Amino acid sequence: MLIYIAKRMWQSLILAFIMSLIVFMGMFVVGDPVEMLADEDFTEQDKIDLAIELGLDKPLYEQYFTFAGNILQGDFGVSYVHNRPVLELIIERLPATLEIALLAMFIGLSIGIPMGIYSGIKSSSKPSRLISFLTTVGYSIPNFWQALLLILVFAVFLKWLPASGRGDTNPLFGIEWSLLSIDGLRHMALPAINLAIYKICMQTRLAKSGTQEVLYQEYMTFARAKGISKQRIIRRHLLRNILIPIVTITGLEVGGLIAFSTVTETVFAWPGIGKLLLDSIHMVDRPVVVAYLILITLMFVFINFVVDVLYAILDPRIRYQK
Amino acid sequence: MPMSTIKRMSNILWHQYKTIFAHYPLALMGLVGVGLFILVALLAPWIAPQNPYDLMTLDIMDGLLPPMSKLGTGTTAWLGTDAVGRDILSTVMYGLRISLFVAFSAVIVGTILGVLLGLLAALKGGWVETIIMRAVDLKVSFPGILLALMLLAIFGTGVDKVIYALIIGTWASKARLTRSSALSEMQKEYIDAARLAGLANWRIMLRFLLPNSIAPVLVMLPMSLSGAIGAEATLSFLGVGVPITEPSLGLLIANGNDYLLSGKWWISIVPGLVLVTLVLCINVVADRIREHNNPFLQPRG
Amino acid sequence: MMNSSTLLEINNLSVSYPLAKQEDGDDAVDFFALKNISITVNAGQIVGVVGESGAGKSTIGKAILGLLDPRAVVNSGQILMQNKDLLASTESALETLRGRQIGYIYQNPMTALNPVLTIGEQVIEAIEANTDMAGAKAKAYAIKLLQQADVSMAEDRLSKYPHQLSGGLCQRIVFAIAIAAKPQLIIADEPTTALDVTVQKSVLETLLKLSRRNNVAVILITHDMGVVAEMCEYLYVLRHGQHVEQAPTATLINHPKHAYSQALMASVPRIEKRIERFVLPQAEQATIANAALEYLLDKQVDTDVAEVPVLEVKRLAKIFTTPASLFKPKQDFCAVKDVSFQVHKGETVGIVGESGSGKSTIGRLILGLHEITEGQVIYRGQNLATLTDPKDRRDLCLSMQCIFQDPYSSLNPRMTAGENITYGLKVHGLIGAHQAKRLAQDLMQLVGLQPLDSDKMPNAFSGGERQRIGIARALGYKPDFIFCDEPTSALDVSVQAELLNLLKDLQQQLDLTLLFVSHDLAVIRQMCDRVIVMKDGEALEQGDNDAIFEQPQHPYTKQLLSSMPRLTQLQ
Repeated sequence: MLIYIAKRMWQSLILAFIMSLIVFMGMFVVGDPVEMLADEDFTEQDKIDLAIELGLDKPLYEQYFTFAGNILQGDFGVSYVHNRPVLELIIERLPATLEIALLAMFIGLSIGIPMGIYSGIKSSSKPSRLISFLTTVGYSIPNFWQALLLILVFAVFLKWLPASGRGDTNPLFGIEWSLLSIDGLRHMALPAINLAIYKICMQTRLAKSGTQEVLYQEYMTFARAKGISKQRIIRRHLLRNILIPIVTITGLEVGGLIAFSTVTETVFAWPGIGKLLLDSIHMVDRPVVVAYLILITLMFVFINFVVDVLYAILDPRIRYQK
Repeated sequence: MPMSTIKRMSNILWHQYKTIFAHYPLALMGLVGVGLFILVALLAPWIAPQNPYDLMTLDIMDGLLPPMSKLGTGTTAWLGTDAVGRDILSTVMYGLRISLFVAFSAVIVGTILGVLLGLLAALKGGWVETIIMRAVDLKVSFPGILLALMLLAIFGTGVDKVIYALIIGTWASKARLTRSSALSEMQKEYIDAARLAGLANWRIMLRFLLPNSIAPVLVMLPMSLSGAIGAEATLSFLGVGVPITEPSLGLLIANGNDYLLSGKWWISIVPGLVLVTLVLCINVVADRIREHNNPFLQPRG
Repeated sequence: MMNSSTLLEINNLSVSYPLAKQEDGDDAVDFFALKNISITVNAGQIVGVVGESGAGKSTIGKAILGLLDPRAVVNSGQILMQNKDLLASTESALETLRGRQIGYIYQNPMTALNPVLTIGEQVIEAIEANTDMAGAKAKAYAIKLLQQADVSMAEDRLSKYPHQLSGGLCQRIVFAIAIAAKPQLIIADEPTTALDVTVQKSVLETLLKLSRRNNVAVILITHDMGVVAEMCEYLYVLRHGQHVEQAPTATLINHPKHAYSQALMASVPRIEKRIERFVLPQAEQATIANAALEYLLDKQVDTDVAEVPVLEVKRLAKIFTTPASLFKPKQDFCAVKDVSFQVHKGETVGIVGESGSGKSTIGRLILGLHEITEGQVIYRGQNLATLTDPKDRRDLCLSMQCIFQDPYSSLNPRMTAGENITYGLKVHGLIGAHQAKRLAQDLMQLVGLQPLDSDKMPNAFSGGERQRIGIARALGYKPDFIFCDEPTSALDVSVQAELLNLLKDLQQQLDLTLLFVSHDLAVIRQMCDRVIVMKDGEALEQGDNDAIFEQPQHPYTKQLLSSMPRLTQLQ
């Protein structure tokens, strides 16, 4: 197994490297950074000076090394719009995104998995078919429209919850969390539910098809033939086997969460990194976009690696290869 | 292609249709729904009450009218009008056209690309396979929306750019599926028989490997389609998708967003309902096809 | 020996599966897996239930334990054990029964065991569910059970996972689980089908030992006549879910009364003597002399003298190399080591060996599907390695054809039967497009199929029929040499007999030269003039048919011959 982990780690590093190269190349296709920074009254000489200052006169591979070096030190440049180091901006907004993402994931897993297992076991029963239909409807509604509907229903008609913004926050370990205040929780509710609905639907479907696949296997029938009770079969045989696909796909789904948080945060004006990204795109704040790209890429590569390792731990066929 | 092959293929299609849909009313409704939507989209220029993009026909005095109001010209705006007097029914028909066009183009091109690359990877092996599969891994480690967002942010927006972004979003899963399907087909003896018959590699790929490896991809297609429609809608809603001159359903929803809270709900909700219904119909069909294909998804207990 | 107390009685059992409604709007037709089956098992008795595929044998085992597919419907009948009707019992009553009074052995041990749980967990869970033991006591008992089932290093195995062990070992573990609570009856559903012949013998011996030792009755369900001849006291023959005949084993095998049983017994290839053809009581599809025959006989008659072999293999060797990666050194697997033999015109040479012996690899090397590592293949006097011109090579090699093993994967599922047969011929311009259809039909008729079926897709044909299409395909090239890669291993025994008869007829009419590979000694005995015995890539012994079977020299050959379950060996 150690070999397996080492191999995966090596592949992850290569992947991260290639991604950084691609982002770096992408930057050059976008446009001239000088033109972006320059004001109208910059003269030609000013522009040349600016170019030298930005290091644009150096050969490409040297620029890449500076780029990579900076990243490894945490220096992502300064935002054009906010005039602050990008990393600072991102770290400031991160807790907001993490809050709703983690809450959504928690809700999604705790509701989705049991529901999925149940409807997998009793797949032709009425409740199961209803659940199937509801989950199909649930993920057919695009994320942003769900958000709009939630706002309409809960904020405009029922007036139970606020429509946008982040509420009061309370500090914990030096970071501001809205989890810790009632007002904050009220503001968090809708965006978290928005993300959670999609998660619940996906988890239920996954758990259901995973369960059905396992139930189909011969070892389940054989376990019954051994005289093992149904509960025990579900607890031991079923759960251990579906854990593998559920864990792996959940890990990969974290990516989906981050992706959809972009939409959710925009609709709810939630000040997380997703909203930061979109605003930066609209305002052509390149350093932020680039930094986001790199960070997200690294995060995904890392998550994939962790999932691979978990997979090896959970599946003895990988752990003990002949 | 000879007549007999066409006859045979249409027989097969009819047979497939009946087995998959015949006793599943929900899926059948979904199929009919999809058919209707496609029909409307294709015929929009002829059946829409108004061409919403011909500025000559618009009258701002007709703006912001609720559904079932009468326009200045005497026709009824069944679904109301937007701020500049465009009939919502018409804008939705045209919007449907754009949404479907973008999604279909992207999925068709992306699928062809993915299938070819997957087959190539399976057949050639070696470093060709490694490169293609690493590219797949790279793409897959990124959620589609985010990737499209980045690409559009870098390269600018427009219908064609959205299509490219979505193509990049779909090809990888098809390539992976095709490759693993082709790899397992290549283990089968009829491929050996073809080799033994001295057939050229390209012939083996097209006549033997391809028809038998694309089944999983075909099963996946409706899902990809609905995903593409949703993705494009999201991107357009966020303002990085199609331009104002060719609004898709997503952009229409975004445009109507400002009026949502002031009671003029139809501008945003109507295109939204159309979008949701479209995606739902496709997903219902996709589910049924998936279920049909997988023995263990048959109901029990 | 036989105890006269009845343990289990199945009376008039009928089980059906309601089929999905037919697409053409016909009413749903039920599929009857079992129709009015009655079976009696006495305490300690070993009863065999035999039949070919589709006979419904497995359904019986599942019905007894209440493990039928949820869609199955029991239309009638009772299953009585100790005066209780199992079909009328509740699920919890059945749960108590399973494991404790009735044990179950399933065909494929690798899928019967849960891959993510250790052997120990799976054995101990059976012990804890069905006996009073738990914890350390259960573990100790588990070790004892494994030892009884002849599992070596029992304690070590407890912490292993199924994929780390061989098929034979896993099957013994399944036996151990089945007898854990000392049940009175064991249902063994094709317990050795997935195993090699030599492993099969020792596994069956273990089963026999366990049965005798604990006076456990066994219902042995199988399609292998040799197995039941060795193990069972009483036999039931089933066909398409219906009862055909029942009798004590010796009676049934030597004097079958029903036509089907007679056909079945006649189809089983014997080792004792080589006969001309299988004498099948039913009317066979005679091969009709037709245009195809003319086509096939119309080819250049070689002026070669009969002594020059059609095929000569010299010191052939094949090593499969897994390339080194960053984390693993290069791994070599030697599939074929230094094999030499000849095949003369009109001969059938057989290669026999177990799985992993390299017999199939040799064929692939000869046909050019794998690259040769060492040695030479000389076909019709030409060394294939020296033929560099692709056209020459192609012309020569098209006369070398193959009949494949798996009827379900040897035909292109997306081409009609006729296209499968003639596609290659058309591509190479050997026949014209309009001739192709006619030729396909004629060839199909030659191999015993309906010529008009040439427009049907492969999935409309049964396994045996598909193999015939494969033969037609090979014949289309007017081959001088045909490699037969276990062509009947996947077929029922009666279908196998028909197909082998067909091959014999064709060989006679067309003077074919065959290299026939099989793991089944009896088939080799019946089909081949000369025999090569292989193990682990080496050719251990070669010789004439009679010489090998009547006076085997090599110890492995002797072991192989003695492991084969035979019809003539009775309890």
